This record gives sequence, C-alpha cells and structure tokens, in this order.
Amino acid sequence: MAILDSRRVSRAGRWVDVRHRRLGMWAYALNRITGIGLVVYLYLHLCILSLLTRGQSAWDSFVSLARSPFYLALDVILLAGILIHGLNGLRIALTGCGIGAGAQKAIFTMLMIVSAIALAVAALKIFHI
Amino acid sequence: MPAGNVSLEKEKLKIIPHVIVIGAGSTGSATAHDLALRGLRVTVIERGEVAFGTTGRNHCLLHSGGRYCVTDRESAIECIDENMILRKIMPDLLELNDGLFVALTEADLAFKERFLEGCAACHIPATEISVKQALAIEPFLNPKILAAVRVPDGVFEPFRFCLAFLATARENGAAVRTYSEVTDLVCSGKNVTGVKILDHRTGQKETLNADLIVNAAGPWAGEIAAKAEVSVPEIPTAGVMVALDCRLNNMVLNRLNKPSDGDIVVPQRATSVIGTTSWKVDDPDLITIPAEHVERMITQGEQLMPAVRNVPMRAKMAVARPLIAVGGTEARDVSRTFECFDHARDGMNGFVTIAGGKTTTARAMAQKVADIVCRKLDVAAECRTRDTLLVSYRLFFQQADPRNGSSVRSGQNRSFQRSGVNEHA
Amino acid sequence: MPKVPLQIFRYKAGEPSRYDTCTVDIPDSAHVIDAIDAAWAVHDPSLTFRRACHHSSCGSCAIRINGVEKLPCVTKLSDVWDGRTPLRLDPLRNFPVVSDLVVDISSFFQRMSAADMAITCEAEAFLPFTVDSFAVAALERKAVELPEDFSRFNRFEQCIECGICMSACPTMAADDRFLGPAGLAAIYQARHKTDDPKKVEHLLGLADGEHGVWRCHSAFECTEACPQAVDPAGKIMALRRELIARRFSKMWGK
Repeated sequence: MAILDSRRVSRAGRWVDVRHRRLGMWAYALNRITGIGLVVYLYLHLCILSLLTRGQSAWDSFVSLARSPFYLALDVILLAGILIHGLNGLRIALTGCGIGAGAQKAIFTMLMIVSAIALAVAALKIFHI
Repeated sequence: MPAGNVSLEKEKLKIIPHVIVIGAGSTGSATAHDLALRGLRVTVIERGEVAFGTTGRNHCLLHSGGRYCVTDRESAIECIDENMILRKIMPDLLELNDGLFVALTEADLAFKERFLEGCAACHIPATEISVKQALAIEPFLNPKILAAVRVPDGVFEPFRFCLAFLATARENGAAVRTYSEVTDLVCSGKNVTGVKILDHRTGQKETLNADLIVNAAGPWAGEIAAKAEVSVPEIPTAGVMVALDCRLNNMVLNRLNKPSDGDIVVPQRATSVIGTTSWKVDDPDLITIPAEHVERMITQGEQLMPAVRNVPMRAKMAVARPLIAVGGTEARDVSRTFECFDHARDGMNGFVTIAGGKTTTARAMAQKVADIVCRKLDVAAECRTRDTLLVSYRLFFQQADPRNGSSVRSGQNRSFQRSGVNEHA
Repeated sequence: MPKVPLQIFRYKAGEPSRYDTCTVDIPDSAHVIDAIDAAWAVHDPSLTFRRACHHSSCGSCAIRINGVEKLPCVTKLSDVWDGRTPLRLDPLRNFPVVSDLVVDISSFFQRMSAADMAITCEAEAFLPFTVDSFAVAALERKAVELPEDFSRFNRFEQCIECGICMSACPTMAADDRFLGPAGLAAIYQARHKTDDPKKVEHLLGLADGEHGVWRCHSAFECTEACPQAVDPAGKIMALRRELIARRFSKMWGK
C-alpha cells in the first residue's frame, strides 16, 4: 500500500524549522546555522590567508578592504556566530553530560544575554578602530 | 505409505472455515482470539482504529462484580470469574489496587448487609475495613463515610486490552482489517456468505467471503444486522464520564448502594474518572454531551471525594453502550449481561450477533459465541482462552499482514534490538 | 453552538495530499477530538483518524493542531481556536502517513518493544498524582498508607506511547533508526526497574549504540511537547551521565 513519506530533502529541512517550536529548538537551529556559517568562514579565511603567498601588495590591498565598514560589519556577524555557537556549545556539553538538563532554557537565555552584551561591547570597539 | 500418513493428508485437505468478525472492540477482539486459537481462519473488519467505538471510551473498570451482586447476580458472577481470568492472561496490562464500596448515608449503611451477602453468594472476596483504615489508605475520601468494604476491583486501559487480544489472534493467523467499513452483507438466498467492505485508507471496495459472520459491532450491531434484514433487540444507551486533571484515589471508589449515576470513581495513571450516566440515543455516531450530566458527575464525585470540586476537568467522554432490551424500561434496569443471537432462527444462516455485555466479560462473551460458531461449522475445538497468556500488545502494530494490505510495510521489518532480547512484555 | 471551521490534511494512496475544509457545530466546552468526530460523523466518513479512550490514556489520537503536537482528546477547543481562523489538523511528523491523520506507527512500536518497558509500574506513595502540577496547585499532597497485604500500589507508566515526542524531535527527521525520545526514555525506565545485570547491560548497550543517546542533539522539544510530563530529554541526559560514569570507572579500572 502506498504511504506518503516525506522526501529526505524536506525532512532535512526540519533541522531548522522553528515554526511552533520552543527555545530548545531555536538553540538547535542556531547551532546548525552558525556551525555551517563558521565552516564557510573558515574556508574563506584560508583563501584570504593564501593571499600572503602572492606578495606584499596583494596582502596590503586586502587589509585596506578589510578596514571598510562593510567588512567590519561582517566581522561583527562572524563574532556573533562564534559567541552563539561557542556558548551554546558549552550549554550542550553540560546538559549532554546530564548536568543542568532541567535548566536548559534558563541557561540558554542567560548565555544569549551574555553573547549579546559581549557582542555589543565588541561591536563598539570594532567600529571605533 | 503408512496408514497414519494417509489420514494426515486427509486432514490437510479439510478446508479450514473462514469466519469474519465485524468490530474490533473488546468483544470482536476477544472473539477473534478465541476462534484463531481454535484453528479457524479469522478476519476482523473494523471501520475505524481498534477500540474506535464503545470499548475505547469505557470506564476502564475491571469489575469485581460487587456493583451487581445485589441486583443482578448473574452479571456479578460473570464479572468476578472473568476478573480472575484476565489477571492471569494479561497480568501486565492492569492496575490491581482493589476497590472500596463506601457508605455515605444511613441508607447506604443499611445496604451493607445485603451487599456482603450478595458478594458471598457470588464468591466475590469482600472484606469490611474500618473507616479509619479506609481514610488512611485513601486520604481524599470523604471523611464522613460510615463504612467501607474492600473488593478486588481493577483498572484496565481499553486500547491495549483490545490490541493484546488482536496481536495474539494475529500470531495465530488471524487477519485484522482496520479502517474498513462493512457497506453491505452479501446474501445468497437465506445465507449470509460474505461482506462488502470499503477501505477508507485507499477508497477501494472489496468483497470478502466467509463461512460465517460474527456481528460484534456493539451499538451498531442493529445497523449491521439490518443489512441481512434481521434485527437485534438492542438499545444504544449513552453515558458520560469525566476525567480529572489529577488522580485523587489509588483504589476504585464505589458508592455502597444499588447502581446509579456517578457512583464510581475509577483512577488510572494520573487521572480519576467519574462515571457514569444513562440515556437512550438514536444515533451512536453523534452524541452530544449534555452539560447537566457533566455537572452531575462532579456533584456525585464530590460526595465520594470533596476535593473533586477543586480539580480542573481534563477530559469528558460519552459513548453508547450496547444494552440488550431484556426486561425493564428504565435505562438503568436493562441487564448488563450479554446474549448471542443466531439469526438462523430469523431465517438467515451464517450470521450470528453477539451483543450487550461489558469489557470485563469480553472473554466469556467470546467463548460463548465461539462455541456457537464451532458448533455451526462442525469444528471440534475447545476454548483455550482461559489459560492462554496474551502476547505483548506492542506486537499488533508490528505484525505485517501482506495478505490483507494492512498499514505495516512488510518490507520494513527492521529490528531495533540486538539478538537475544525477549520480545514479550 | 459555535460553528468551527476546520482545515484537515487529507491523503489517500495514489492521490496527491490536500487540505479539506469543513465547518462543525460543537459546544464551546468541547475538546478538539469532538470536532474531528463531528467532521467524520456529519461530513465525511472516509476521514481516517485514531481515537479510543478520550482521556489521554491510550495515546492513540496524537496529531498536530495548528502545527503543534497535541492530544486532541484533552485539548480544549477554546485553548487552540481564536474564534475565526480555521483550525488546522495535520498528522504527526516523522512517521509515514497511511491516510489522512493516521500514521504508520509500526517502527515506533518496534522501538518500544526493543526497550521492553513494562507498561505498569509502582505507584508513588502519595496523592494527588498528576502530570499538570499547575492545574492542581491548590491541593495538598497527602501521604498514603498501604493496606496490610499490599507491598505496593501499581499504576500505568506515565508514557502513553503517543508518539508526540518523536514528531517534535528534529533528529527523528534525520535518522531513520534513531531510538528516539520515547524509545530512550523507555530504556531509562526499564533500566531502573530491573535488577537483572544482563538486562541492564543490554539496555545500556542499546542506549550507547549507534542510534542511541548520542544521536540526541539537545533540542529538548520532546520534553516540551510531551503531554504526560515524561521528560524524555532529562532521561536521555541521565542515561548519558550513567554511560559516561561507567566509561570513566572502566578507564580507571574500578
């Protein structure tokens, strides 16, 4: 008998489907999105570092680009990703070992507030350079 | 070839009769199990899911029989006998905390002697305990009770009750077709020879032939029987039950008096269910729950346990009981016993209805109808359901039924366990 | 009686899935299961759905109501319907759909059989017993004295095997063979109800396996969605704690 079975692709989409879901799912989805973002950043970062092999002028022209407001904004986004992924990762490591699983929502909220504060401070410092 | 082998060959050629059971409530499930155990080929046809009808929404009380020991001794004896048997064949599917019959008024207190006599006459173990003891065991019980008698009441859960019988039947070769509605009975002269079904999962129609059809459709038995132009003396009688947001009692609590509305509070898991009422309904498919019945349940429940008033309601349900119209005109007076109707007496062969009864006595009902079925089909097989342990209800949804295209994908029989695990719960 | 508009997911084999709309007349105080029942009884008898006990004991009726997993038998209409927008009814996620609101729960029960948790257990020695502590906050907890000949009271396990946690779990979508929150919570319960060391080893082996506790990635949606306060996420993390502790003591040669 035929059975309606969702395609694998749409099922994978449930990793980031936060509709009707609670805080834990937001953390789950954010971790995946920031994780992918950080991997993409890592690749880009290595590409940029390879500019060093093309001599001083290539590197210097990149550095002046890197000081533009657009790039600084990207840096802030990168930092947000690092903070969210890293601090949430701490939460996952703790709760995943059975420590504080009952307080997971409170821990997530607290860590995200810490991230937001750290990000705000960092953003101010970045844009004043 | 030795003579013994020749007779074996003859046995194999004997065609195993096919029996169709209409309805996968407690009656149909137990009947399928009994017939399958006797070696017949059985197909259960149910228009919804297992326990979709009356059995699903019942009060879940495994009767000790105390409720009927004064007014309906036949019922009471059936209950206590079946209570003991179910404890043996489905030990892991029951809450067995006994029950209390409590007296709240002088009239209740006066009833106590008749109650104890009735229990003794029906071999129901009944022990009077002191009020102090009763209140220590059940702290939410009304502190003004005048007497308490302890009986072996129990609690079951109707869905798994039916699943256990059906899973065992399937292990013995039965087929179960859920979401398949009987649209017509196939009649050939004075014989019912099969059923026409509509599979609601696919929209496909099918005709199944059978040597005999057992109508176990509960309050819809009359509707099914009408398709063969015979009738069943049945009065669908609805009742309301109210489930609370918490469990206030560990034991079943009953009012020590003749049966009346709202005089039982059955605990189960994390709830207490107060029931029930009685009123005749024309259409068992569309029952509106009367608000005054709900309020009456709270008021009656409050008498047994005053805290009932302060607990929010978790759910309320109503369903029609398939009461047989034998004696008494008031809904409460109609007997809760069961009856088989062999429609050969009405001029239709191959068609038997089993009606009335309650889930507690489902196995006995099945035995009675299976005895009739075997006699009619000339099958010499004894009932073995009294002593046969039922398999795990969890097997029901895992059993592939490729012959009848059940909802299980037969190719997808992945095991989630390492070797050596005992499957039976 | 208000007229409640419903939007019900429909699927029959061989046809594309769709949403059917209909309006039912049910009282204000009704539960969502009454609405589905009315849609079936009055409008369309080909609508397939599960239901039995109508009081959150059998676990058969679980569906999604406006996208959120719930038991319609204990969900009041007034809690989910705003009075205007059609109430959307979908089958559970992460299970193949057989037809309409009925999903294939065969592999779910294979998992529950593997965990082999007994569906009855010892009762707590106090009353009231509830899964909704907010609702009964006013009631005082009272100690219970067992009858002389009783060593314990018993009751059905909290878990009603409804599948709601499996639908809410994002890992269930990704891994076809994940034991899932229900399976792992059942393993936890079974592990703590047995004294047989072989059985304990077997259960912990299942939990420690490729599709066991380590597949959980801490979304905690299962615990949020569970209508019976089973807290499967808590049980998964407790199993992990035990498994880690065992690994450590093995390493240290205790």
